[in-house]
Amino acid sequence: MTKIEVKQLESIRRDNILFQDINFQLTEGELLQIDGVNGSGKSTMLRICAGLTQASEGEVYWNEQNINECRYQYQQVMTYIGHANGVKDALTTKENINIIHALSGHEEKIDHNRVLEQIGLPGMENVLLGKMSAGQKRRIGLTRLIINSSKLWLLDEPFTSLDVIGKSIIEKLIVDHCQNDGMVIFATHQEMEIEGHEVRHIHLGRNNE
Amino acid sequence: MKFGIFTWDEIMNKFMNTFFVILQRDLIIAFRNRYELVNPLMFFIMVIVLFPLAIGSDNALLTQLMAGIIWVTALLASTLSLETIFRSDFEDGSIEQLTLANYPLTLLVSAKILAHWLVTGVPLIVVALFVGYFLSLSSATLFALFITLLLGTPILSLIGSIAVALSIGLRGGMLLSLLILPLYMPVLIFSMLAVNNATVGLSIEAETYFLAGLLILAMTLSPIATAASLRIRLS
Repeated sequence: MTKIEVKQLESIRRDNILFQDINFQLTEGELLQIDGVNGSGKSTMLRICAGLTQASEGEVYWNEQNINECRYQYQQVMTYIGHANGVKDALTTKENINIIHALSGHEEKIDHNRVLEQIGLPGMENVLLGKMSAGQKRRIGLTRLIINSSKLWLLDEPFTSLDVIGKSIIEKLIVDHCQNDGMVIFATHQEMEIEGHEVRHIHLGRNNE
Repeated sequence: MKFGIFTWDEIMNKFMNTFFVILQRDLIIAFRNRYELVNPLMFFIMVIVLFPLAIGSDNALLTQLMAGIIWVTALLASTLSLETIFRSDFEDGSIEQLTLANYPLTLLVSAKILAHWLVTGVPLIVVALFVGYFLSLSSATLFALFITLLLGTPILSLIGSIAVALSIGLRGGMLLSLLILPLYMPVLIFSMLAVNNATVGLSIEAETYFLAGLLILAMTLSPIATAASLRIRLS
């Protein structure tokens, strides 16, 4: 049984305690939402879980192993998507997808049309990202979820700038992933309910926890 | 030899493929934003042209100074374009994704540095040779200039990338120059020794070997240091 475990996490930014003594465990098929107001440390929390930022105190474990000690193995099973989409404006969707695919380490050829259809942008493979809207770019960034096919997804505000259709596509991806024994942690400040799967909550903020 | 489920050859193949994907990616992006690349070159040409105007048309003096001026200006021009190695990747979040990719960051960073040298260093060498030719440098001096720039500019990109990785996203371009210009001095010293030797008809072998040694050292260590700096910068 794979699991990610967070123990006694604490983060201090500029002498302010962002959050303290956060503990949780997530196993296969579970969906966790981190909520809280702006500046409550949601992004920091996800970055710590992804191994990008070091926590002031506490550790993150993947299958009982500290992620700092098994970084390489951990990165192969984890996909992190931050505020920024991590896609290049100067490249076309197809070129961006090729790069995402190359970095994912998968051998088999990739079917661009299938990926673009899944994300709701069929027939746009030769469009420069610089000419696309914020929501469309977000969708291209989110193709990582399909291409990487990792076990654990860490999503920071995945629904920003997405329209209703985009939102429902991503929601469906998340629910399907969880039903196929995947694990998802996502952060959002919006009140939202994902239908079709039980959502656990962690609330970050001064007066709680 | 086997590593996990892969043989050594398979791993090397995957690594080389990814290296070329990133190299190609950066070359395409550079080509599509080519106006950005022209700036350092224009700066280089303009500064070189200013010197004869300022010093006067004393031919002997100019020939003596010109090789040095070309080298110093090339060095400054390459500092100008250094930030482009990581700036856009930092702004659009690509650097996070490179850090979290299934390949060593050192490998991806090496590809980016090579791409940067190909789009900034190589044009600079070509332009420098043209400028040197028009300023009627002797062929021996030109040759020494070519060899030292060929070995020297990659070192500049490699050393510069460490400092850029550390300072990217921070305001203040001065910090970057302060960090790297002292580190550029050995390259400049050996290059100028070689060029001066060539001008008076001496051999430039010793300096060339030394520069080549510096290049190998920078190639081996700088990607590792750059990758580590990027991780620090991101956290």
